[in-house]
Amino acid sequence: MPALCNDLSSFARTIVHGEEPSSEIDTNYTNYSVAVAVGVYRNNYRGNLHDALAGAYPVIEQLVGKDFFRRMTRQFIGQHLSRSGNLHHYGAEMSGFVAEFKPAQDLVYLPDVAALEWACHCAYFADDAAALDLVKLAQIPPVQYSELILCTSPACHLVRSRFPIAAIWHAHQPGAPGDFHIDFDCGSCNALVCRKNDVVMVFELAEADAAWLQGIQAGISLGEATAATLERFPNFDLQAVLLNIVTQGVLVDFSMANH
Amino acid sequence: MNNNHILSAAIGGLLALGLASGNASAADKKMDMEKCFGVAKAGMNDCSSNKSSHSCAGQAAKNNDPMDFVAVPKGTCDKLAGGMTEGGSMKKSM
Repeated sequence: MPALCNDLSSFARTIVHGEEPSSEIDTNYTNYSVAVAVGVYRNNYRGNLHDALAGAYPVIEQLVGKDFFRRMTRQFIGQHLSRSGNLHHYGAEMSGFVAEFKPAQDLVYLPDVAALEWACHCAYFADDAAALDLVKLAQIPPVQYSELILCTSPACHLVRSRFPIAAIWHAHQPGAPGDFHIDFDCGSCNALVCRKNDVVMVFELAEADAAWLQGIQAGISLGEATAATLERFPNFDLQAVLLNIVTQGVLVDFSMANH
Repeated sequence: MNNNHILSAAIGGLLALGLASGNASAADKKMDMEKCFGVAKAGMNDCSSNKSSHSCAGQAAKNNDPMDFVAVPKGTCDKLAGGMTEGGSMKKSM
């Protein structure tokens, strides 16, 4: 086993880091030199990672174009190794990478769009969660409502940006009209990612609703989260946001604080 | 206004609506079974995603190494000109 492990490590260094191929590699090819064969293997390695990234970031790919995306991912792949046997886990660092990628510096919204796409990607592969049990909720005495700790679905993510990332995302979904106008002056965007019936959806939340949901996601009790939100946003409508997110499958369970 | 009243009204509304709408989970279960056949992740169903991500056959056979030309984004970002920086600040018009 150690011998096999050493062989594989050596081969991986050749493919990933461009080290000289080990002399152990079988050189009896009739059609290829070792150098060409290693080059083909390395190209497949990079190609698969590129395709994994293209699968996770279809909006980024459309925004910058296929050629630019390929060039960008080439650099990403050089800097980030795949650390999971599951390729769907690959690409989490894209938002930070894009922010540092000089040729894309002018596209200031790109890192936040990448963060939104990664949230969508994770939402798609997140564990299933049962719908909120309203019968169980109905058994809680109203005097204890303020102690409720609401649990959000593992597929639910809130992505905040000073750019209209939800509008950009929607404009690049299949079937969206190719001609769009997006107003960059419309202020910040609170994009809520959730999954219903196996479809990932992106909604925009009002500032107050997003602040409240952020508190809920942080594990703050319903009473505290609501009071804190009302203090900042006197017009906050708890009933409306509650109905909205329960309908979208964002809330999946609850527990009681201090119990 | 009393926060307890707000909580009671909000959850009361939720319960009234939820309990009245009956068993919604039957529809959910039906959709679960369709996961393998329908397009799920918008624009890309699981099968095609896996196929493109894990295939070794589809890649170019040659090692096409560094593209040294200065790459410029050539996608739909052209249509989002209002979001580009010029000297570090947001350009207003489009």
